[in-house]
Amino acid sequence: MSSSSVEDIPDQCKDLFTQDGVLLKACIGRPVTDLNSIGMLCIVQNVDNTKCIEWRPNDLITIDSDTQDQEWAVVNTIGRRQRTLSGNITSDYATARARIIRIPLEDLKTFRVTRNNQQMQFSTKPGVWQSTFYFQHGNAEIFVAYLKNHVKTAKTRHDRNTYVVVEPNVESQVLNKSFAELDIFTENTTDVVWNLVSNFKQRPYETTMEAFSKLTDIVYYGNEATNGKRDVSEEVADLLTKSMSALEDATSVTRNDEYEVISVKPTLPPRPSIPRGTPLSAEKWEGLQDTEGRVTEVEGVKQLIFRGGVAHSIRQTVWKYLLDYYPWHMTHAQLRVLHKKKTEEYFSMKLQWRSMTEGQESRFTEYRDRKSLVEKDVNRTDRTHPFFAGDDNPNLVVLSDILMTYVMYNFDLGYVQGMSDILAPLLLLLGNEVDSFWCFVGFMEKIASNFDMDQAGMKHQLLQLQQLLTFASPELARHLAAKDSGNMYFCFRWLLVWFKREFSHRDIMRLWEVLWTGLPCNNFHLLICVAILDAEKDSLISRDCGFTEILKHVNDLSMCLDVDRILSSAEGIYHQILSAPHLTDQIRVILGLPTVGTSTSSEEVASTSQADNGTVEDSDHSLYGKDMEEGTLKYDGIEIYIVSKTVWALLS
Amino acid sequence: MSSRKKVLLKVIILGDSGVGKTSLMNQFVNKKFSNQYKATIGADFLTKEVIVDDRIVTMQIWDTAGQERFQSLGVAFYRGADCCVLVFDVTAPNTFKSLESWRDEFLIQASPRDPESFPFVILGNKVDLENRAVSAKRAQQWCQSKNDIPYYETSAKEAVNVELAFQTIARNALAQETEAELYNDFPDHIKLNANDNSRNKDGDNCAC
Repeated sequence: MSSSSVEDIPDQCKDLFTQDGVLLKACIGRPVTDLNSIGMLCIVQNVDNTKCIEWRPNDLITIDSDTQDQEWAVVNTIGRRQRTLSGNITSDYATARARIIRIPLEDLKTFRVTRNNQQMQFSTKPGVWQSTFYFQHGNAEIFVAYLKNHVKTAKTRHDRNTYVVVEPNVESQVLNKSFAELDIFTENTTDVVWNLVSNFKQRPYETTMEAFSKLTDIVYYGNEATNGKRDVSEEVADLLTKSMSALEDATSVTRNDEYEVISVKPTLPPRPSIPRGTPLSAEKWEGLQDTEGRVTEVEGVKQLIFRGGVAHSIRQTVWKYLLDYYPWHMTHAQLRVLHKKKTEEYFSMKLQWRSMTEGQESRFTEYRDRKSLVEKDVNRTDRTHPFFAGDDNPNLVVLSDILMTYVMYNFDLGYVQGMSDILAPLLLLLGNEVDSFWCFVGFMEKIASNFDMDQAGMKHQLLQLQQLLTFASPELARHLAAKDSGNMYFCFRWLLVWFKREFSHRDIMRLWEVLWTGLPCNNFHLLICVAILDAEKDSLISRDCGFTEILKHVNDLSMCLDVDRILSSAEGIYHQILSAPHLTDQIRVILGLPTVGTSTSSEEVASTSQADNGTVEDSDHSLYGKDMEEGTLKYDGIEIYIVSKTVWALLS
Repeated sequence: MSSRKKVLLKVIILGDSGVGKTSLMNQFVNKKFSNQYKATIGADFLTKEVIVDDRIVTMQIWDTAGQERFQSLGVAFYRGADCCVLVFDVTAPNTFKSLESWRDEFLIQASPRDPESFPFVILGNKVDLENRAVSAKRAQQWCQSKNDIPYYETSAKEAVNVELAFQTIARNALAQETEAELYNDFPDHIKLNANDNSRNKDGDNCAC
């Protein structure tokens, strides 16, 4: 570049165009103190007729005024430098002069306008935006219009705000003619372009270098054997832009006091395809208990359940553990004692409301209100399922009794709509009133915040979901935001009753038992939402759904979802997020991962995740996490990868 | 008249849990009743084309959860409503008493341009049941005291007055919509004046 030769340029430079109110936002190689200062962006013609883009800080102009030499102030900037160097001018002035930024047009490769005409970026090297300017008045398009008088550009189909300079100056025809001979466009343009483009994703930097080097070859080695028939400049422009934006996505600029570091970052890594496992079988389950019935390898059990769910034949037993009714470490004998105690406790609470007289009830409005809500909802819970169908179905009485007893167990919370949906599959599976009640209590512990009076828990989750979606599926998140749906209200039903309304009883059992394991991270149910939405991304975006259409589309997904596929892609998304180099603490907190940004200690992380109601959490993690083998577990020749082990270790 | 652009009327159904909001909506739109409707979680809507005064209009009927604590989220769906239907259960006096707060809450959250004239319709549902506890007279009195809100006694189960009630809802919503349209519809306005002018040529309308 020409910065080294600046001093040699004689005095007579001419401003072809100037635009003021332009801030320097970023420039590689400039100290951070130079940034965010206001100035003027110009197109300058040098004496040798070469041209350049030049940015001058405003304080330079002020100094110029002070020196009573205004005719020089804007026009003849280069000459000033010589004088500076010769020591005739104050050191302030010299400092200001040193802050001028020059980009020779012959070096300019790409530029783009972003942020509503407020920002312009220039690049002279593949893969790097060397300088970024902020137009205070949002009028960057004016500068672009003038700049296009001096360089030949190609807009790209890929991004209409990015311009590739196909000809640094209008006089030179070399490049234009030579594109046709680029051997990357030999027989099948599409294939070659595709190969290159797909290469960009895998190795953006190398591919970009390659593409640019081909261009450079043409510039240097000229246009012998011009027999070009196709004008492929547009393809080239496209390729270059794509490579630039691939790099843009893959790099971040971290400012570090005096210089900027370009590091590799953004795009989410490809989604791994993770097959589901087979359900935890009765034999395996037996093998996982010691002779007295204690379940020792709790983490292993949970891993197996997370991978494949639970075989239906042992669900009745295993669910009691998953829902914290049966502690994992208890022997059969201890469990018998516990069961007896819990049965007594249940019936004493049941007696409390059963023994209420009509008179008492008439003077107890809050109780009456709760009872009336329970009655209304019991009569309309899963009535199409044979277990709850028909008039005078005794199972409805049990459903009602459990909910009424829960009102006495937790009168403050009482009964809230959605609870009958939560209870129905438990009762259907367990069949037993007492067991269903205590399992229901355990489930409610996990999702109590869903039923907050002020709905704070739901609002919080909708926000977290929005944040996760923004990270994992930014395009869709942007679309939703643009369509008044950034609040994610259309996912309300999913979250309130953990997808109960979206799946058949058989599928909801599978989904719930997997979610109850609390693996592989906190708030995995939010990643289930992300997975469902991501799968619907194309139809939501291409149909240009608005607020009402989005809600309808999402509501209509009910009973049309494949639970195994969703679980698999949610896990894939989890791994994508986990290995994303630009993973933020905001996302880490949602998923219960240790934060790295601030001085958050592991204790704080632990307490955050525990305070975060509505998430799956398990105090056993820390208890048993320590005993784990490093990395993998083996059961019956099946190797299980312990995904979240590190996390628990840090939490404990 | 018939060449006018298609009209979409947004109607919100509100009322306590279990008064029959979903059933009324389904009876009107699908001509069906079921004991098996689940409690509404979140929100949903159905659409139906109806003819009002020779105009085809599409009614978009919104159904939200009735339990009080879910209302803070329901408000997202109130925006742009053309009519609000308040439902109570004639066998449950509490659901009648709640009407006032449903109405107030709606006006606060939806903030229509002219709250005084915003169209409401009250439906006293479940008249097929025997254990009636709110008399028609009591309900009518309340409706009169609230700017003469139209009142219908309905049964979603037996399709009593449902069609009639929704016709009124559509008509009143359309009047609201048309009023908003006229507000911005300058040419129509001129035409109206021109007719007036021709009718009383030497009237006292020279101020126009």
